[in-house]
Amino acid sequence: MKQSLFEQQHAALWAKIEMLLADKPQGDRKELPRLYRALCQTLSLARQRGYSPSLTEHLHTLALAAHRQLYGAAIERPAVLRHWLTSRFPRLVREEWRLFLIASLIFWGAGLAVGLLVWFYPEWAYSWVSPQELAKYKRMYSQAAARLGREGSGSDLMMFGFYIWNNVSIGFRTFAGGILGGVPALLSLAFNGLHGGVIASWLSRDPVTREAFWSFVITHGAFEITGLILSAVAGMRLGLSLISPGRYSRHHSLLRTAQRMLPMVVGAALLTALAAFFEAFWSAMPGLAPAIKYAVGGGAWLLVLAYFTLAGRHEA
Amino acid sequence: MTSILDGRLELLTPEGVSLALTPAGPARRAMAWAVDTFLWLISISMLMGILGGSQAGRGIMLLVLFVSYWGYPILFEVYGKGMTLGKRWMGLQVVRADGLPVGWRESVLRNLLLVADFLPFLYGVGLFCMLLDGRFRRLGDLVAGTMVIYRDPPAKPARIEDGQPQPLPFPLTPDEQRALLDFVGRAPRLSDERRLELADLAEPLTKGIGHASLAKLLNFAAGLTR
Repeated sequence: MKQSLFEQQHAALWAKIEMLLADKPQGDRKELPRLYRALCQTLSLARQRGYSPSLTEHLHTLALAAHRQLYGAAIERPAVLRHWLTSRFPRLVREEWRLFLIASLIFWGAGLAVGLLVWFYPEWAYSWVSPQELAKYKRMYSQAAARLGREGSGSDLMMFGFYIWNNVSIGFRTFAGGILGGVPALLSLAFNGLHGGVIASWLSRDPVTREAFWSFVITHGAFEITGLILSAVAGMRLGLSLISPGRYSRHHSLLRTAQRMLPMVVGAALLTALAAFFEAFWSAMPGLAPAIKYAVGGGAWLLVLAYFTLAGRHEA
Repeated sequence: MTSILDGRLELLTPEGVSLALTPAGPARRAMAWAVDTFLWLISISMLMGILGGSQAGRGIMLLVLFVSYWGYPILFEVYGKGMTLGKRWMGLQVVRADGLPVGWRESVLRNLLLVADFLPFLYGVGLFCMLLDGRFRRLGDLVAGTMVIYRDPPAKPARIEDGQPQPLPFPLTPDEQRALLDFVGRAPRLSDERRLELADLAEPLTKGIGHASLAKLLNFAAGLTR
């Protein structure tokens, strides 16, 4: 068959598909599968019969666009985020309880060890944190400060923005660093534990700052520390899947693990954002009795604990 | 039809046709990245000028910074057919390994992993990874199962204007047709002698040599691209 005849015969089909694929589609989209199959047939014929390159290129472009339109259509998954939060995320954390335990031990272990050291030998604090910074923390938590835990007079909204930008980004970096064998995730965890341990112990030694500090950190700490540990767990899992891929190739193991851990990364980020909200608008609120803050803080810890032990248990 | 040397990737569809994708290399992608970063820096510093005054303004500023830093590539890739502004300009597109558009999961993963690719400085790990991989995938692409391809298929040869469209005397294979079109496309940049010398080679097709052959080749090419 001559090419011109072939073009004449199928021009209507190609024009129809072009209309369907345009930015503002015209025509019945339900027809696309049938038209696409017809298009694939003309493309194969054109190639096999050696029609001109410009024609096959054109049909190829058309087929690629139709292929994407047809197979790229996302399955509608309403409320996937809600499903993640009510079920997938806590279940995933329970599945990974071993790594969670290890990560928690590293964070709390580093914090506790250094904290005890500083408690008994305060001069050690200067090995990790500069004297200026220690003095700054002392100022921030002394009773005279207008706003607890802040230097100067940062407004609530500004601190909220700062905590989001800083803390959630740290969580993301901790996860991404996991791909390098999990080591950066571990380091980030140990470093944050150590830093917290030094500061907590340093401020606890002084009765002026002790209560202010603990009543400040207890509420948002529940969400922030859990968020950081979970980011590290997701990162470590990614690193482990590279180190010991089991019966998969390294690439497939990475692909699978990343897909599996994504709810945890998102969940950890949401926890950290929640922590930022509490840290900015609640923890620093002046004129609240420490007893109230301790009660709310204790409630927050219980809530986190209950969420990760109970949520999503009854779902298949 | 395609040889392994041209770096194209064949995708076999369930309908039995193969579609070709061309993965994009580090240089073009670096340019797209530079455009994106430049645009981001410009808009952020403009915003800082507007919002930087008050405490609350700086808070909103930091929130915008967070959302734009992590969210800009993700939102654009999901809603912009796999293209950030830089990629759109450079003619690149992010697709899944099976050639389909990226969704939220792929885009979130590949952009979170940018941090690891950036190490130790200016995408050292990412570049190293791209050079080792046949499809120029960086770590984030490997983890998310995506790749970056050229959006447009190689530009079609321009319409040959200076010939009378004429059908071929006998069918040529697609490769031969391509060679003919390539020659006609390059002819204006060749010296006269070289042009005629090459046209002589087509004697079996044109039944002539020299200027006669050249004119006939132009006519055939015009017929092919018409």
